[in-house]
Amino acid sequence: MLYRTAGQFKTSYQADQALFPVRQDAVLLAVILAFAYVIFPLTASEFTFQTLLIPILIYSLAALGLNILTGFAGQLSLGTAAFMGVGAYACYKMITLMPWMNPILAILFSGVFSAGVGVAFGIPSLRIKGFYLAIATLAAQFFLVWLFEKWAWLYNYNASGAIQVPNLDIFGIYVAGPLASSITQYYVVLGIVTLLTVICINLTRGNLGRTWKATRDMDIAAELIGINLMKSKLTAFAVSSYIVGVAGALFVFMWRGAAEPNLFDIPLSFQILFIAIIGGLGSVMGNYLGAILIVGLPVLLNLVPETLGIPIKSATVEHLNIMIVGSLIVFFLIVEPHGLAQLWRLIREKLIIWPFPH
Amino acid sequence: MKNFAKLAAAAAVASITAGAALAEGLYTPNLAYRTGPFAATGIPLMNGQKDYIEMLNARDGGVGGVKIEFEECETGYSTQKGVECYEKTKGEAIVTQPWSTGITLQVLPKTNVDMIPILAPGYGFSPMMDGKTFQWAFNVPSGYWDGASMILQYLQGQGDLKGKKIAFLHLDHPYGKEPLPLLEANADTMGYELLPIPVGLKEMQNQSAQWLQIRRARPDYVVMWGWGAMNAGAITEAVKTKYPMENMIGVWWSGHDADLRLVGDKGKGYKSISWSFPELESQAMADIKKHVVDTGKTLSNEEEMQGVFYGRGVVMSMILAEGIKVAQEKYGVGEINAEQLRWGLENLNITEERLAELGMSGMVAPFSTSCSNHTGHSGGWMLEWDGTKFVKVSDHLSPDTSGYADLAATKAAEYAEANAPWPVNDSCGG
Repeated sequence: MLYRTAGQFKTSYQADQALFPVRQDAVLLAVILAFAYVIFPLTASEFTFQTLLIPILIYSLAALGLNILTGFAGQLSLGTAAFMGVGAYACYKMITLMPWMNPILAILFSGVFSAGVGVAFGIPSLRIKGFYLAIATLAAQFFLVWLFEKWAWLYNYNASGAIQVPNLDIFGIYVAGPLASSITQYYVVLGIVTLLTVICINLTRGNLGRTWKATRDMDIAAELIGINLMKSKLTAFAVSSYIVGVAGALFVFMWRGAAEPNLFDIPLSFQILFIAIIGGLGSVMGNYLGAILIVGLPVLLNLVPETLGIPIKSATVEHLNIMIVGSLIVFFLIVEPHGLAQLWRLIREKLIIWPFPH
Repeated sequence: MKNFAKLAAAAAVASITAGAALAEGLYTPNLAYRTGPFAATGIPLMNGQKDYIEMLNARDGGVGGVKIEFEECETGYSTQKGVECYEKTKGEAIVTQPWSTGITLQVLPKTNVDMIPILAPGYGFSPMMDGKTFQWAFNVPSGYWDGASMILQYLQGQGDLKGKKIAFLHLDHPYGKEPLPLLEANADTMGYELLPIPVGLKEMQNQSAQWLQIRRARPDYVVMWGWGAMNAGAITEAVKTKYPMENMIGVWWSGHDADLRLVGDKGKGYKSISWSFPELESQAMADIKKHVVDTGKTLSNEEEMQGVFYGRGVVMSMILAEGIKVAQEKYGVGEINAEQLRWGLENLNITEERLAELGMSGMVAPFSTSCSNHTGHSGGWMLEWDGTKFVKVSDHLSPDTSGYADLAATKAAEYAEANAPWPVNDSCGG
């Protein structure tokens, strides 16, 4: 009905390989983008911006970065949060050393540093695989957080060891720091996330993406058909860490406003890994769905008792929340072990052939 | 992707209704943590805060005849949840009680924009005492530098510190690092050797490496800046390594009865500096018992209510209530707003007489704030664990604020510069 593909003929290979072979997909995306770019900013309150829209976008981006590495190239990483930290600290240092720098450029450039660090920690992946590689990335996680704590130059010798985002403006409009309005920050985040998502979609559909997938599916076979594993794995580490680093810079500069080293500790890595797994490994859209479930849903659940006027202690709400979100994660993984993206894919397929299933 | 739109639309609706649901009396949210790794130390404090306000509501109908709506928003000590709570409550709130150094750091720069005072009794950033720079933040009645200064004074009272070795066992976190500049500055003038020993957040419960270092270095004193599970870890390790307990001194957050009860008699002699003391016989405690405990409204229990932390929670709420009262008297309205409360907190004058009126003599030392002094520097007492409870073992100690006034001014100026444009209240003198 809604997804009727009858009458949409493909007359060339190019049309068949297009990003949206079915017209309704494009329409749906346009609607979502319209919501993201126009309707949410017009209607959202400060609370919605700060607790739902901005964090969901940033977490999605971080999960997207991880997904490139784990989902597309098959290299398990437990060090995502540390690479986010590299991005955040790099951005902080650039901004404080060169206050004239455009903050958006600084954010985009900070990913380069985390890409470098990511490649360095990715080198062991040439020799080790699977769980063993996970341990190597875990080492990155512990080492980098330790470095953020001990290297006082990184936080400008601040007595409390934390970094604080100064007020930054572009042409007189504050984009970061306490004076920045949520809507500006939202648009900056949305713009960067959109840009990187488009790049990622194209990368994963192109030559590089196919190389990654071949490496993931069977690296010996990939090597035999002439894929340079070193290049494939290291580019995956570089691209992934770049995106994760940018997400880290956005995380601190566009949302949190301040950060202490242990923010980038292992719980954050796990949270992002869960987003990627529940959303669906090897999918771009899944990261968004996963972030909505893991980041957005708890916030919404917290509001439910108050909205309905049920008097429950806020600590009880928190306990309930943990239980509900936990059981939902289990539920979704039982219903669809390949993640929410696969769930959507199945729904879409069913819609296309509806009402005549085979 | 369809879900995203639906969920977000629901969120928008929910947040609008959530904002409208409140507004009755004076809304003073507390960003509490009754869950998570620090819950054990958080709960008694939060119960004390809550019970005092409930008592005021039941006994006097609130403050100045206006009921206080004291709502808790659960953070689990997570900065992310804390910011969520801050955003959720800031529309109606007249005060923010952030309850963790991480959340304070996040919220502090926003206060100039949102114009809501931060009440951080006994925690947070020490330079907040500079009211000119930090117009909206209050760390009454004592900051960490006050605490460190009082500890040093007490130690000097025990004998000259020259040539002594002081180990500073602290949580490797903004909170634990807070007194370092002061301890370092005093090391030269007082002639002691400072040995900072950080405890990582992950090593809180297993401090064998740190205590091995202490055993090797044989410091004359161990000064501890710990929180949550770190306190119990340190105290049990100290007992295990047979470190003389009377030479171990904690900050006020390291003096939790439950942590000491674990070791009981073996912890005898352990000390903790404190700006509050639980006077169980006081009128205020009796009123809490009558109006809150006996009516079954409390979440606390007999044993917890005798502890130092519960009593401290009561004092915290007293400070808030006094701030409200001062503001009500000045502006002649019951339902004061955030800006008026700021004035109230800035003009607190808690004298010995006022404490007697409140039925809280001895629970906190008298102090007063002004527009340039947002801490009050009440001073406090050295408490000692006698095997079953904490008792006062010193006279009232006053911090030597002149020793670090310059340091505070420099740090405050640095902060203002790093966050430029930062409004400084030049109108206030002194």
